[in-house]
Amino acid sequence: MKLMYELSDADRTALESASGGEKLMYCVPYNIEGDRFVKGFLAITDRKLYKLLNGELLLSLPIAESDDFRVEVMYGSCGFYVRTGGVSRLVCRFISGRNLARYSVIIRACEILAEQHGTDPITNDLPERFCPKCGRPYVNNTTICPYCMDRMEVYRKMFAMTKGLRLMMCFPFIVAIFSVVFSFLVPWIEGQAVNEYLEPLSGTERGSMAGFILIVCAIVSIDLFQRALGVIQSRCSAVSGNRFIMMMKNILYEKLESLSLSSLQRRSTGDLMGRVNNDTAVMQDFVTNQLPNIFVQSVSFLVAMVVMLVINPVMCLFIFVPIPFSIFLIKKFWSTMDLKNRRGWNLENKVNRQLQDIFSGIRVVKSFGQEKREIERFRQSSLRSARQTEKNEMLFDTFFPIVTFAIRLGSYLILLYGNILLFDGEMQLGTLHQINAYANIVYSPLIWMTSVPRHISRFLTSASKVFEILEETPEVGDISLPIDIRIHGEINIKNVTFGYESYNPVLTNVSVRIHPGEMIGIVGHSGSGKTTLINLIMRLYDVNTGSIEIDGVNIKDISQEALRSQMGVVLQETFLFAGSIRDNIAYACPSATDEMIIEAAKTANAHDFIMDLPQGYDTVVGVSGYSLSGGERQRIAIARAIIHNPRILILDEATAALDTETEKLIQDALKKLIRNRTTLAIAHRLSTLRNADRLLVLDHGKVAEFGTHTELLERKGIYYKLVMAQQKMGAIPGGGEPEKAAAKTSSATA
Amino acid sequence: MNDTKKKDELLDDDIPALDDRRVSVPLTPENARFYRSEGGLISLELTAEDGEREIFERVAVYRAFPVTSPDEFLSVREVSIIKNEHGQEIGMVRRLSDFDEPTQRLFLEELDRRYFTPEITKINSVKEKFGYSYWDCETTAGHIVFVLNNPFSNIRTLIDGKVFINDIDGNCFTVPDPSKLDASGYKKIEIYL
Repeated sequence: MKLMYELSDADRTALESASGGEKLMYCVPYNIEGDRFVKGFLAITDRKLYKLLNGELLLSLPIAESDDFRVEVMYGSCGFYVRTGGVSRLVCRFISGRNLARYSVIIRACEILAEQHGTDPITNDLPERFCPKCGRPYVNNTTICPYCMDRMEVYRKMFAMTKGLRLMMCFPFIVAIFSVVFSFLVPWIEGQAVNEYLEPLSGTERGSMAGFILIVCAIVSIDLFQRALGVIQSRCSAVSGNRFIMMMKNILYEKLESLSLSSLQRRSTGDLMGRVNNDTAVMQDFVTNQLPNIFVQSVSFLVAMVVMLVINPVMCLFIFVPIPFSIFLIKKFWSTMDLKNRRGWNLENKVNRQLQDIFSGIRVVKSFGQEKREIERFRQSSLRSARQTEKNEMLFDTFFPIVTFAIRLGSYLILLYGNILLFDGEMQLGTLHQINAYANIVYSPLIWMTSVPRHISRFLTSASKVFEILEETPEVGDISLPIDIRIHGEINIKNVTFGYESYNPVLTNVSVRIHPGEMIGIVGHSGSGKTTLINLIMRLYDVNTGSIEIDGVNIKDISQEALRSQMGVVLQETFLFAGSIRDNIAYACPSATDEMIIEAAKTANAHDFIMDLPQGYDTVVGVSGYSLSGGERQRIAIARAIIHNPRILILDEATAALDTETEKLIQDALKKLIRNRTTLAIAHRLSTLRNADRLLVLDHGKVAEFGTHTELLERKGIYYKLVMAQQKMGAIPGGGEPEKAAAKTSSATA
Repeated sequence: MNDTKKKDELLDDDIPALDDRRVSVPLTPENARFYRSEGGLISLELTAEDGEREIFERVAVYRAFPVTSPDEFLSVREVSIIKNEHGQEIGMVRRLSDFDEPTQRLFLEELDRRYFTPEITKINSVKEKFGYSYWDCETTAGHIVFVLNNPFSNIRTLIDGKVFINDIDGNCFTVPDPSKLDASGYKKIEIYL
């Protein structure tokens, strides 16, 4: 990320006259001053901070006397605050998306400068998130700028994707050429038939019957041949289209699975599903249907024009007369229709979203008796949507026939002129028929082609959405030669600082050493960074600074597969996949035998309740299956972890939502599970952690206390307070218990 | 399940009450004197009921209802010791108009900085490319180009017809009354409303 921007001459002069011989270290832009967008710069020398705007020095602050450099994310902008000699100042404001990450580096730089003079500028490897050409933002974690992207680029990428299917995809084009040739041949033959055989019937002489039959035969066989080609073409497109879409889906899905948790969580499930299903379908439709069609229609249009020119240039002119007018009309029509349709689509979407919202919150609606109001709300929005759709359809139904008529004006002119020629005997009836048929060949692509731009833009949007994912670089990636290690279980966390956004550290300077086989309880208020620490150990995210080592090896050097296969997690919310209990227990280890599964279930205290189920271990659970209570699901998760046999076990609030009885069962199961494994357990209820060897107390992202239960009680610090507070609550008769009972019922119905 | 989780967090939040958590008080011209700090921000001198005085070199002001009642229910907060977190609430100003003119001006200056939402006065062009929507507008804060990744969800219309636009970069714009834009501008924004 750039930290040394070029100043304009005026700014530079202003800076130089103010700073004299100081060494310029950083120069970064700011975007807002007062109530205006501006192009100002913040220049930082080894001694002072200068705020420049259009050649004017607005502020200068001595760094050595300053402390508390901070960025505040505000509404619609961010502010950079500095306290100098006890006086706080808002130094400048900037647009968050453009500069937030930059200023987080600047804060660190200022802090270093405030402590000691004259160090070299710090460097950073944060990527710029903007297109250097147009300054507009890149798509997340890629260097794609949709604004600057060339359409050809998408086509090229698309072409590269069709490897292996190209031959099959060419077929429609070959067939297309045949069909164009035939569609011109048939009117010509028909014209011949009329001129040579039918027209003379009215006269005295008769044409030869044999010739006529020959012509009929030709027409029939051409038709047959054309249909046979059509069958082959459809079969080919069916194969190539489906293979293409399957291949796209697989590639996309594979990529999605390789992306890190953070980039997946940034997108909604709906968005991801849309990309895998709809966008690939749009791409497929375009490649296998639209593209050949565009080809056919444009070729036949051109050929028809040429043929008509040859037969009768004047008539060709008549065809052209209404074309500019029609094109204008059609363009106008589609652009209005497009806007109206999008609006209708938006309103319809709103109705759908509302429905989804209501159905997921139906318990709330019913328990507060708000059905009537919701019905009214739904009625309102569906009325709006219906009205818009009505309007759109009416517009379409009126306008489209008019447009079609306008386009066909030319053919009336042709009939008129042709008949005049006919009466004068300058043209034969068959030729007129032929020309009329060609005119139709010219017009039908015209009507159709007006919708081509829409198909193309739909395709480009879908394709670019797909390529966006394909080109995203995973944030957490394996190094080129990752190590596969047998984990023993020592975890060494060294000076770790991490924030989900780099400017906002959740953990600061955490250092902890955990021995193999030890059980560590992690304690702290919500938001103190407990779950974050665990996410880092599992390497769902990479640390910003510092390192995490397992058995002395940095986890960045261990292959993710090796790491995860030796780690087990039991979370508060247990997710069961649709399938049998057996499959769920064996999820991490599909080769487990039935004996192993039963053994694991017994260890997890799950065997008994499973045997009570009608189909035992084959009972189907998950979204559409048998619903288990929270405690039951929890025990299945523990059995899953037991089978997995991890070296490092992570329990994240594993017993938070359970009643005492179930908790005891699970505690017992956990006790067996943690034997001989390095275990990290997060718990709100401290009683859960009574087996822990040592306790780690986190406070605002820092290690506040670390030691055994007795040691920490003696220290009378945060842990002591927490224990006292919970004992006080436990002392209230029945205190806390009703909640837990409620928790059980809610999880059973969930 | 979520409810239980919330409950646990609540239980958790009770605990810091053991630490010194401030008790928020109503701020009135009687107990609170706001004045411009040396650095151009807001300082507060707070007189407690027992007459004890407390001075805050800098306080931060937040709106409880930035959209519906911007000048009522203002939360006045300490600057937190931990960066990037809201400090504790010192108290709330029920109605800005309870205070004298200079204080009101002081507050509005700070609020204008904290809630930066330029009004769009003219839409020069809206271009859709590859699913992203590129806007070129004149605003009360000057000319700007911005990007929306999904105009249908980033453009929000309130009941009174005011429109809010949130762009990819974290900018915020409003259109107080879209029908007052010129015809071509209205046409560009209309489909998203």
